[in-house]
Amino acid sequence: MEILKHCFRKLIYSIPLLFGVTLISFVLMVYFGPDKTYDLLGRNPTIEEINEIRHQLGYDRPFFVRYFEYVKEVLVFDFGYSDSTGEQVTSILAKTIPVSIALQLPGFILGNVLGVLLALFAAMHRSSWLDKMIMSSSVVGMSISYLIVIIATQLIFCSSYGLNLFPVYGWEVNSLPDYLYYITVPTISSVFVALGYNTRFYRAVIVEETTRDHVRTAKAFGHSANTIIFKHVLRNALVPIVTRIVFSIPFVIVGGALLLESYFGIPGVGLTAYDAITTGDLPVLKAIIVLTTLLFIVVVSLVDVLYRAVDPRISLK
Amino acid sequence: MKKFTMLPLAALVVSSFAMADDIKVFKFSEDGTPTTFDPVQSGTTYANTVTTAVYDTLYEYKYLKSPFELKPNLAVDMPQVSEDGLTYTIKLKQGVKFIDDPAFEGGKGREVTADDFVYSIKRHFDVKNRSQGSWLWAGKIVGLDAWKDAGSDYAKEIEGLKALDRYTVQIKLVKPFPQLTYTLAMGYSGVVPVEAVEKYGRELSIHPVGSGPFKLVSHNSTKTVLEKNPDYRQETFDLAGAGYNEEMHGFTGIASLDGKQLPIVDRVELNWIKQASARWNSFSKGSEIVNTTLQNEQMDEVLASKHPVKLKPEYAEQFNFRVNPEAGLVYNFFNFDDEYFGYSDDPKTNAQNKALRCAIVKSFDWPQRISRFYLGIGEAYPGFIVPGTDGFDPNMDDSSITQDLAGAKKLLKEYGWNKQNLPVIYYPGTASTRNKQFFEQFRGNLTKIGYPKNKIKQKTFATFGDFNRDVKNSKTQLIPMGWGLDYPDAENTLQLFYGPNRSPGSNSANYNNPEFNKLYEQASVMQPSPERTALYQKMNQMVVDDCVGIGGYSRTRIRMWHKNAIMWPQRDVMGNYLKYVDIKS
Repeated sequence: MEILKHCFRKLIYSIPLLFGVTLISFVLMVYFGPDKTYDLLGRNPTIEEINEIRHQLGYDRPFFVRYFEYVKEVLVFDFGYSDSTGEQVTSILAKTIPVSIALQLPGFILGNVLGVLLALFAAMHRSSWLDKMIMSSSVVGMSISYLIVIIATQLIFCSSYGLNLFPVYGWEVNSLPDYLYYITVPTISSVFVALGYNTRFYRAVIVEETTRDHVRTAKAFGHSANTIIFKHVLRNALVPIVTRIVFSIPFVIVGGALLLESYFGIPGVGLTAYDAITTGDLPVLKAIIVLTTLLFIVVVSLVDVLYRAVDPRISLK
Repeated sequence: MKKFTMLPLAALVVSSFAMADDIKVFKFSEDGTPTTFDPVQSGTTYANTVTTAVYDTLYEYKYLKSPFELKPNLAVDMPQVSEDGLTYTIKLKQGVKFIDDPAFEGGKGREVTADDFVYSIKRHFDVKNRSQGSWLWAGKIVGLDAWKDAGSDYAKEIEGLKALDRYTVQIKLVKPFPQLTYTLAMGYSGVVPVEAVEKYGRELSIHPVGSGPFKLVSHNSTKTVLEKNPDYRQETFDLAGAGYNEEMHGFTGIASLDGKQLPIVDRVELNWIKQASARWNSFSKGSEIVNTTLQNEQMDEVLASKHPVKLKPEYAEQFNFRVNPEAGLVYNFFNFDDEYFGYSDDPKTNAQNKALRCAIVKSFDWPQRISRFYLGIGEAYPGFIVPGTDGFDPNMDDSSITQDLAGAKKLLKEYGWNKQNLPVIYYPGTASTRNKQFFEQFRGNLTKIGYPKNKIKQKTFATFGDFNRDVKNSKTQLIPMGWGLDYPDAENTLQLFYGPNRSPGSNSANYNNPEFNKLYEQASVMQPSPERTALYQKMNQMVVDDCVGIGGYSRTRIRMWHKNAIMWPQRDVMGNYLKYVDIKS
């Protein structure tokens, strides 16, 4: 009950946030966003035709009228039709979001699980050559551009210049083997990039925890290394770990992996968002901004509940 | 006994493999993405490729014929044109059906009629459809513009656009428009049924319901899948009629398609791959896409020589290729609205401005531009008439495309330009590495004629739409652009200089030469003839003499495809070519 009340309270508090985000993003879109009119024109337009398209896009209406319409769209979650494709925005999102989740999830989970494990291993062997090797590998992973990683993994695993085991391009997922076939290389790329950041962050958190008094006490009591690491260190380090993981969820779902999607031909929401930004497809862009904001609101509510689960001393009030 | 019980299962498995083998899938690729397949908005070559595959147009181009030549498609024959060139009568084939779709009663596609064609052209003149093709017919068909101005009521008849009977279309023109038949081969004129428009509304863009050789199965931002229209009319490939030439086309294996029922493959998967490295990896691995356009990134890896184009033996063994000049051109125009580039009432300033334009034209280094950005193949040509179209003169004086630094310096000095009074020039373009490189090359050449480096600046735009907005509003000094031919007639590029077409129209240079305008008006209503060719050439010379811009150059592309694919990858102008591709199993 307390949790439900907390979530409800958070949702109420989030309303101003939603308004703030929509207002700021709308100001940016209207005053600094691309002008879609000139993408939709034919080759020999007249001034009347230009004005007609601007009218249809709503560019000629006062700012606040347009903003209130946007708010209305948010309330009913109906963003109309894409200005580029003519498809209903909700249907675009319904098709592309699951693809992005399916694409990103394995890399997200593996990147975090492996990150925590490597960080634990490095922390347990602090200052040893193993620790140094893991940390320097992390720095290398962090330093190489995502684009280079994608091109390199594509060459190694997918092309005739390398192993030629996986597809370069496409997304024909109808079964589990298909799924594994299509996501393996994108997952390798995203894990490679995420692992460096994750391992360094988690190691720092874990090392910090190992210097605490209760860990020293546990050692004094003669607990085994595993008990100390998993029961006393990892458990107490979970709050920052959970924070990092949970706050990256909206990015995984909506932010999408634009580079992965465009280089591997995967029709996800990242690619859709990028196209909407570059072409000024406001209906799609507005929906994606709202969705991201809503996800952050859910995540913020969820993270408090998770804190409580990992550390009962934390109050929800 | 067990052996026998397993037999039907084994047979089923074998037959399913056999069936799978029978399905011919052609995995095609392009370097951009279409966003809509509604004929009224099929403004890109990518959209046109799909639109002409799923919708029928009255005419189409002969697949292999060069120069381009039209032939009937949905029409029975070429149009009957009245003596005065103002009335076109076109008979449609009978028994042609739209694909089965829930939009129709009982889900069964009905017959295509002349009314459907009339309706489809009317849609371009209904403002809510945001037509990109209406300019083709605007001001040319009797009563069409008035119909639009009166509110686009589909129930009202238009004098110049009528269905005389179920299978006969009549088009009456305000003035002769010899290019009309070309426009009826463009995706814009695809025949759409009213039922589909009413059912799908704006989503018709992704639910095409046509009578073309293919039907759309699925579409997303990276892939479009087409399947053979099972009810497509009985049409076979006529090799001789298509313009086959053994010497030119023999290596492709196209001859084996003669007499085959169209479309030949069962399924076409169109992969939209913008990234050059991904496209090359997908193409070269052998089991994915079967065609690509060679990019600068792979040029050294793949080519053994550029003049003539030859592949390295290891690639020549695996792939066919074709060197293909585009049906279009790239150029840099000056904006005549600009005070330093345009006309002036003061004869002295007028002469000075012209000298400045001509000096910049002389500074430009075409071989360098081609070598750095266009695979180092193809040649620039004087003027703006695309090679292969009527009026192109290969013997034209080439001083307008030859770098002449001394001549440029002399011209500037002669007309009083110096480092102090030369204007600041902003070179516009979208924010990309390539545009930055274009700018640097442009600036590098200008500094060689004494132009101060700090007076040549780049003006970047976030998107092409933003750049185009400034061009359409005449806010850029220069217009570095490209133009793909809508139809193979020099009129299509000469209109770029016709005064009344000024911004926001296609005359982005805002060039307005009364003599040119007069000649254009005279030539644009003429049927092809030596007299018209002479007029085209005269107009071309005029814009060269006036130094309207730097150009032209038609990009040469190297198309490559796997040896087990039969194709002649020509995407410019033509459309409706997927029905001729084949894949050997």
